[in-house]
Amino acid sequence: MKKMIVLAAMLVTAMGAQAEYEQVNMTVFGMDCAPCAHAIHVSMKAIPGVEKVDVDLNTGLVTIALNQGNAATMHQFNEAVEKNGFTHKDAKVVAKGKLTGTAAAPVFEVSGTGDRYQLVVAGAAADVSSLLGKTVMVTGTLPQAAKGKTPERLSYVSIKEAQ
Amino acid sequence: MRRLWLLAGVLALTAGAWASDHGPVFGYATPVNSQYEMSFDTGLFGRYGSKGTQFSTGSQFGYGLTPQLTLNAFVPATFGSGSLPETRIYPGGEWTAGASWRFFHDVTSVGKRKEATGSLALVVPGPQADSGVLGSLARAPGVAGTVAAGMASRSSYFWVGGGYTRFAGKDGDRRPDTVSWSTVYAYRPAKWRRSYDQWDYRWLAEFTGEHTGDVVERGVTVANSRSTSLWLGPSLLAILKNVAIEGGVQAPLYRDVNENIYGRERVRFAINFSYLKYSARPNAH
Repeated sequence: MKKMIVLAAMLVTAMGAQAEYEQVNMTVFGMDCAPCAHAIHVSMKAIPGVEKVDVDLNTGLVTIALNQGNAATMHQFNEAVEKNGFTHKDAKVVAKGKLTGTAAAPVFEVSGTGDRYQLVVAGAAADVSSLLGKTVMVTGTLPQAAKGKTPERLSYVSIKEAQ
Repeated sequence: MRRLWLLAGVLALTAGAWASDHGPVFGYATPVNSQYEMSFDTGLFGRYGSKGTQFSTGSQFGYGLTPQLTLNAFVPATFGSGSLPETRIYPGGEWTAGASWRFFHDVTSVGKRKEATGSLALVVPGPQADSGVLGSLARAPGVAGTVAAGMASRSSYFWVGGGYTRFAGKDGDRRPDTVSWSTVYAYRPAKWRRSYDQWDYRWLAEFTGEHTGDVVERGVTVANSRSTSLWLGPSLLAILKNVAIEGGVQAPLYRDVNENIYGRERVRFAINFSYLKYSARPNAH
């Protein structure tokens, strides 16, 4: 019994580790100078699981690469922007998670983080029914969310079963 | 002892009239600290005139309580014996503690924002006496309020601001009320709009003005002790990540000053160093 509990815990941990953001490219408005970029860099780097942060002041693009097995949430990225007095806009993400819901209304759960999005296709309609219940890799865009909130929908450009 | 505790309390509560950080070195500006950011500024400021030279050094500490509210404390030291008019846009010998609140903040696009900030501070006489006509006055605390508004972008900055300081009277003496104002334009040429891990430079043109009211000594207004002056000059700001160095000089454009009392002030200059310690701490929700 004890072994089964340990095995179950390991499975849950392994499943959790699979569901994660791998890359977040976020547009941030309001950064005009070097200290602004430095502040964002410090705040993003402090989020556990963040491997590398680049800030481009001229485009406002903050590029965040994450380690495998991270549990960083979208709320943490948004908060890192808000605490420095800037505004987060849309974010392009590459994330791994579980596809739930129905073929007509699929839901993408980055289960290790608790983040959950309604999936909306960005281009031509796609049939995701064969991926329901599976771990998938999604590339898409999260729209701007109100301060303190995370978006409800993720507009995806690609979805495939995760390896 | 009680007064010391009161002073310590005020300093702990903690906007200085003195603009610094990574904005203009003379004029008023809108930036406030990030949440949990600690900022440290220290500088050397000089005023030279026909009745002597006055130098001051000052250190300002700031702490971002929220993304819009910063607590400040300013501790100065002065040296020199110039007889010059009261100034509040320039650091003098007063200890200052207060708060700056960015009450308007509109982030409009990449690198661009419009904002307005108000500050309120308690001004307490420091241990060093003033020189000239102000040196003989019994000094009392005062209250200083400032408002600044403007915009920031990757290429240009523009701020307008004003401040008012009123001192309490003591033993029949009262230092002059002071009204200060400033307009600052800054420009970062295209070749300086670089990656943030390289030096970030910008030129500033700072136009400042000040009107000081009557000096009251033993209950009597000192004749012709009012002053009005306008100053203009360039500054250069250089920033590397979280360290900034800035220097500027100003020359008078207009002076309505009694030269028998204050002499003829000819030049003002400032060199300032800033260190910004950003916090890795997440927000408390």
